[in-house]
Amino acid sequence: MDGPARTTETTPSLDRETIAQFGPHLAYAKDARLDSGVEPDKYVKTHCCFCGQQCGMQLKVKDNLVIGVEPWYEFPFNKGMMCPKGIKRYLQQAHPDRLLHAYEKDTASPGGFKTMAYDAAIRKTAGEIERIQATYGRDAFALLSGASLTTEKTYLMGKFAHMCLRTANIDYNGRLCMVSAGAGNKKAFGIDRAANPWDDILGADVILVSGANIAECAPITTNYVWQAREQGAKVIVVDPRITPIARTCDLFLPVKPGRDTALFNGILHLMIEHDWIDQQFIATHTVGFDAVAAEVREWTPQRTAEVTGIAVKSIEQAAEWWGTAKTSFLCHARGLEHHSHGVQNVLSAINVVLASGRIGRPNCGYATITGQGNGQGGREHGQKCDQLPGGRDLANPEHRGYVAGVWGMDPADLPQPGVDAYEIIRKIDRGEIKGLLSLCFNPVVSLPDNNFVRQALEKLEYYAVIDFFMSESARYATVVLPGSLQEEDEGTVTQTEGRVIRINKAVECPGEARPDWQIIQDIAKALGREQGLAFASPGEMFEELRLASKGGIADYSGISYERIEKNFGVFWPCPSEVPDGVAMPGPQGTPRLFEPGSWNPVAKGAGPFYFPDGKARLNVTAYVGPAEDVDEEFPIILTTGRVVSQFLSGNQTRRIGPLVDHCPEPRIEMHPRLATRLGITDGDWATAESRRGNCTLRASVVTTIRPDTVFIPYHWAGRKSANQLTISAQDPISKIPEYKVCAVRVRKADAPPAYADSLEPQQ
Amino acid sequence: MKTSGLRQVVGPVGWGVGTTLVLSVLILVGSRNLAHFDAALVGYTFSVLFATFGLTYRYAMWLQRPPTAMYWRRGWQAFFRRGWRRQNAGVWVRRVGTDLLANRFIFARGRLRGLTHMLIMWGCLIAVAITFPLVFGWLHFRPVPGDLSLYEAVSFGFPAFRFPHDSVMAFVLFHGLVWSSFLVIAGVMLAMRRRMREEGAAAVQRFAEDFMPLILLFAVSLTGLMLTASYTWMKGYAYTFIAILHAITVIGTFLWLPFGKFFHIFQRPAQLGVSFYKDIGRTQELAHCRRCGHAFSSRMHIEDLIEVERQLGFQYDIPGDDAHYQWICPRCRRTSLAMAQGALWRGKRGGAPLAHGRPLPMPVHANPARGQGPLGAEDADNFFP
Amino acid sequence: MPVPDALEFFIDPGRCIGCQACIQACTECDTHKGQSMIQLDYVDRAHSTQTVPVVCLHCDSPTCAEVCPADAIKRTEDGIVHTARKPRCIACNNCVLACPFGVPKMQTEMNLMMKCDMCYDRTSVGLKPWCASACPSQALAFGTREEMARLRPHAKPVNTFQFGMQTIRTKVNIMVPRDSAVEIVDVTAAMHEPTIGHEMLDDVFEPGPDRGDA
Repeated sequence: MDGPARTTETTPSLDRETIAQFGPHLAYAKDARLDSGVEPDKYVKTHCCFCGQQCGMQLKVKDNLVIGVEPWYEFPFNKGMMCPKGIKRYLQQAHPDRLLHAYEKDTASPGGFKTMAYDAAIRKTAGEIERIQATYGRDAFALLSGASLTTEKTYLMGKFAHMCLRTANIDYNGRLCMVSAGAGNKKAFGIDRAANPWDDILGADVILVSGANIAECAPITTNYVWQAREQGAKVIVVDPRITPIARTCDLFLPVKPGRDTALFNGILHLMIEHDWIDQQFIATHTVGFDAVAAEVREWTPQRTAEVTGIAVKSIEQAAEWWGTAKTSFLCHARGLEHHSHGVQNVLSAINVVLASGRIGRPNCGYATITGQGNGQGGREHGQKCDQLPGGRDLANPEHRGYVAGVWGMDPADLPQPGVDAYEIIRKIDRGEIKGLLSLCFNPVVSLPDNNFVRQALEKLEYYAVIDFFMSESARYATVVLPGSLQEEDEGTVTQTEGRVIRINKAVECPGEARPDWQIIQDIAKALGREQGLAFASPGEMFEELRLASKGGIADYSGISYERIEKNFGVFWPCPSEVPDGVAMPGPQGTPRLFEPGSWNPVAKGAGPFYFPDGKARLNVTAYVGPAEDVDEEFPIILTTGRVVSQFLSGNQTRRIGPLVDHCPEPRIEMHPRLATRLGITDGDWATAESRRGNCTLRASVVTTIRPDTVFIPYHWAGRKSANQLTISAQDPISKIPEYKVCAVRVRKADAPPAYADSLEPQQ
Repeated sequence: MKTSGLRQVVGPVGWGVGTTLVLSVLILVGSRNLAHFDAALVGYTFSVLFATFGLTYRYAMWLQRPPTAMYWRRGWQAFFRRGWRRQNAGVWVRRVGTDLLANRFIFARGRLRGLTHMLIMWGCLIAVAITFPLVFGWLHFRPVPGDLSLYEAVSFGFPAFRFPHDSVMAFVLFHGLVWSSFLVIAGVMLAMRRRMREEGAAAVQRFAEDFMPLILLFAVSLTGLMLTASYTWMKGYAYTFIAILHAITVIGTFLWLPFGKFFHIFQRPAQLGVSFYKDIGRTQELAHCRRCGHAFSSRMHIEDLIEVERQLGFQYDIPGDDAHYQWICPRCRRTSLAMAQGALWRGKRGGAPLAHGRPLPMPVHANPARGQGPLGAEDADNFFP
Repeated sequence: MPVPDALEFFIDPGRCIGCQACIQACTECDTHKGQSMIQLDYVDRAHSTQTVPVVCLHCDSPTCAEVCPADAIKRTEDGIVHTARKPRCIACNNCVLACPFGVPKMQTEMNLMMKCDMCYDRTSVGLKPWCASACPSQALAFGTREEMARLRPHAKPVNTFQFGMQTIRTKVNIMVPRDSAVEIVDVTAAMHEPTIGHEMLDDVFEPGPDRGDA
C-alpha cells in the first residue's frame, strides 16, 4: 500500500443526499415522551442493548411507543444503575430515520434509494443468492452477522449459513471485539467465558484492570470496583490514557500501546523471583509452567520498563501487590485484545492469574469485559466462521455429527470452516465473494482501513443489508430490508458474566419492518429451503438451541425462559443432565467456573478446567511488537476506543440527540508536550495521517494521555472515522484487527475540513 | 438580623391603614358621597377595603426583608438613574407589555401553561375592571334623559359616553362578567387538568397553595354565571340565594388575596425592578472570581449580596485575601466542595494534587447542551449580572 | 407525602467518572422533565478527567431561600428545599450567587430559577431519586445509613460544612474517611487546591528536546 492517496471521498453529493433522506438525524424527547402526565400502558422488564453488561431496565410503553425508562432495582447485576446510553436508548424507537420499507438502490431517487415492496425484496435477495451460488459456487455468497443480536438470532444466522446456504463464509462483528479474549480463554482454560460473576470483584484484595476504560465502556462495573476499594482493595490500572477510573486508582501503569505482553511477562518474572506464586496450584492444576518461567526469565524489570514505558518502581509495586494478594480479580478488555498479538496479550495476563493460583474461588477471579450488546452469547452458537452451536467446532467431526443430527442433515453437507470477517472483505476485493448479506454489522465504519472496505463493497454483485436505520454500510447495499430493534423482538442474550437473560418485546415493528429472524426465514422460504428454518417464535428457536448446545461447552440445555425469569438470569454452563454422582448446577446455573471439584464435559471430573486432564494451560507468551511500529515518517502511535455516550459504529447512538450533545464529534486527544511540538493548541483543527488514510479533527490537548500517543474515538463515519487510519493487521489466531496501535503523523490542519460546514456533528 | 418586633409591625400597619383610608376617601368622592353607591354591594366594598389593608400590610412587611429592601431600593435607583430615564421608560413600557401583559416568560415554560395563565389573568383583570368601579360607585349607567333608547356611562359623577341599549356594544358591556368568567373557567380547567394529570405537579403541589386559588376562582365564576342564568332564563329562580353564594365566594377570595398564591399578582412587578438592576450590572464593574479569576457577576450585585447576607446573619467572611465567600463563582463553589472532600481522602485513594499556579482554571460544564447542562444563557456563561 | 427520614442521600465526588448518567437521568424526572438539574463540571480537563457532580444538598437553613427577595424558595418539613415557586420567582440570581454549593440553575427565558428537589415525585413515595438510581459509580447514592455503613466500611457521612466563618448543615451527606476526626468539611480551606489525579510521569518517557511541560 502506498501513500494516503486512496482517501478519495465517495460521491460526496450523493452522500449528502442520503444523509438528508435517511439521517443520522437527532431525536429528542417530545410530546408523550416529555409529558409527565402520560401514564404508561405497561412497564416491560428487559435489558439495555448498548454494551456487554446489558443492564436490567424497564421500558415504559404507551400506544406502541417507548416513552421512557424506569430503573429495575431488583435486577442483581446493576440494581437500577444505568449509563447515559441506557437511559436514552428509548429515543431510538419510533425514530424519524427508522426504515419502514424495503429499499433498493436507485441513483435517480433522492438519497439513492427507492422503496420496494417487502416481498419483492425477499424474492430478489433469494434470486440473487441462487444465481451467485449457482454461478460462482456456494462460498461466493457470504454472511456478516453481529453480536448485538439476541442469541436466538445468532443461532439462526449460523444455521441459515451452514444448513440453508451451505456457505463456509459467515462471520460476525465480534471478530472486532471479543475473539482475542475468546481464543485466549479457550487456549488457557478450554472455555470462553468470564470465569467469575462480578460479585467476586467485591472482596478482592487487588483488582488489576488492563486495557479497559471501565468508566466509559462498562460504566456499571465502576461501582463494583469502587465498592471493592471501599472494602480495602487496591486498584491497579494499565492504560496509555489516564481514564476516569485510572485517575484515582492506587497504581497507574501508563503502558505504551501494544506492549502488554511485555508488562505481564515482567510481572510474572518478579512473581517467580520473589516466590509470589502458588506452587501447589501450579503443580496440581496447570500444565506448562516451566516453559513460561523460562520465557519470562529475560523480562527483568529494567527490560520491561524499557519496552513498556512504565517506571521500574511501578512494575515492582504492581508485581508485589498482585503477588502477595490473598484474593484478586484481573479484568481486561479491548485495550489488551485489539492487537495483532491480542491472544498473546490475553494469555500473558492469564499466566499471572494462573501462577497466583487465585481462580475458581470466591473473590478470586478473572474476566474479560464484554463489549457488545450480546458479545458473550453472540460468540457461542455458530455464527463464527469456525463454530457450531454450544461452542462446538465446525472442524471437529464429532461436533459436526451431533449438530447435523439435531438439524436433521448429513454432516457431510455442512461446510468446512470459513474465513474471518476481514478476510471476507478481502475475498470480496479479490472477486472470490460476489454476494453478501449483512445483519447488525456496519463494516464501513467499524472495520480498520475502511477506505479499503468501501472499495471492496462497491465490487459486490449483490449486497443485501438488514437494518433498522440506513447505516453507512447500507448505503452500499443493493437492497435494504427493514429489520428490528432490540425492543421490537424477544429472546435471550448472555451478558458479560455469562448470565443468560431475557429480552422482552416492548413494541411491534413499525411499517413493513419485521423481526430479523422472520426476514431470514422469509429468504430461506423464497429459496425453497425452509427446512429447519420455520420457527414460529424465538422461543421455539431457543428450545432447539438448548438441544443443539447440549453436551457442548456452552451448554444451555438446562436453561428455559421461565428459569431465567425466576432467577434473574441463569449462568451457563447449565446442562439438563449430568452423570450420576455429579451435582446439578443450582437454579442460577454456574456463576463461578473452575471451582475445585467441579465437573465439566471435557475433563469429566479429572479437574476443574476444560481439558481432558482437567488442568489449565500456561502458554508461552513471547513478546511481539505491534505490526506497524512508529518510525521517522509516522512517529506517533494512534490508539482508538470509545466514549461513554456512543456505541460501536454509532448507527443507533448517533441518532439520539442527548447522547450526541454529550460528545458531538470525535477529537484527536494529545498530550500538550506533543501538541506544543506540533504547534497545536486545544480546539485547533489537526490532521492525523497514516499510510492508509487521513482524518482532520479538532485537537483535545490534555495531559491524560502518553505524549507518544494520540487517541481518536471510533464511533463516527466518513471523513470523521478513525478507522480510515487504522491498520488491518490481524492476530494470527483470533483474527482480531489491531485497532489499538498504528503509526501516524499529526500536523496542524491548513484549513477546517470540508465536512465542517456541510455536515452536522453526528453525520 | 431581627429588628424589634414591634417596630417591624408598626410601619406596615401604618401603611395598611393609610392605603385603606385613601381608598375609602376615593370611594366617597367617586360615588359623590355615596349618592351612586349601591347599598347591596356594601359587603363587597368592605371586603375590598379589608383586602387593601391586608395587601398593603403584607407588601410593607415583605419590603422590610433585607433582600427585598435591597432590590426595592436598587430597582428604583436603577430606573431613575440619571441619563437613562428616558430609555428606561421605553424599556419599562416594553417589558410591561411582553412580561406582564403578554406573559412571554410563562409561554416559554409551555404553550398550554402560557395560555392557561393568560385566560385566568385576563378573565380576572376584565372582571376587576368592571366590578370595582361599580362597587365603589365610581361608575354607573343611566338611561339618557329624553332618549330612552340610549344609555349613558357615568364615571366619578361625570358623564363619559353614550350608547344604544340594544346595541352590540351594550350586550358586550353588560355581559362583561359573563365573558370574563368564561375565560377564567377555561383557564381554571386547564390548570386543574395539569394538576390532576402530571406526576411532576402532583408531587409538589399543596392544597392551600395550589388548589385553593383555583377552587375560589371557579366558585366565583360559576356563581356569577348562575346569577346571569337565573335572571335571564329562569325568571330569577333562587336569585337571592345565588347572590349570597356569589358574595361569599367573592368576599372569600378578597380576604384570601394577601395570604396565598394571589399575592404574586402584587409581587410580580418586582421583576421589572430586577431587570433594570441587571441592565445596570452589565454596564458596571464586574466581580471576578477569586478562585478562577473569571468575571461572574457585577461587583455591585456581589457587594449588595454581602450586605444582605450580613443583615440576615450569615457570616461567609473568610480570613485572608479572599475576604468573603461571595467572591467565589458558582462553578468554583461546586469544585471547592469536591476539592475539600478529595483532600480528606488524600493518601487513601490514588492520585495527588496536580500543582498549577493561581488562578486555577475555570471549571466547565461537562455537558454544555441547553437543558442537559446549563438551563439558560446565564448558566452557560456563568455570568449572573 | 414527605420523604422518609430513614432514606438519605450520600455524595462521594471522588467516585465520579463523569459519565453523565446523572444528567441524562435527571432529565427524566417528572418534576422538571426534559431539563437536568445536576451540576456536573470538569474541574480542569486539560490536566485531569476529574468531574464534580453536585445535587442540591438541602440546607437546614437554606441561604438561597433567605436571600430570595420574592419568598419563592420553600423548604418542606421533610427538609427538601424546592425549586422556586413559579409565580413568585423574579429571576434575580440572588440564590444562584449565594448558594454555598453553587446548585441553583437559572432559566433566563422563563424567568425562573430551577434546582434539584431530590426527585420529589420519587422520594416522596419512597423511591430513589433518578440520579442516585442510575449513577454507575454511585458517587451519588441514596439509601439508609446502615446500608451505606455496610457497603462502605471505610467511609462515613458528614453533613456539616464550613465556609469561612459560616457553618452550614445539610440534609445530604458527603462521604469522608471513617477514621478521620473530621466532623465538618471545611470547603473554603481547600478552595485553592488544584485537581487531583495521577500524572504521566516524565521519567517514563524518552527525553526529548522539549521536555518542559506545557
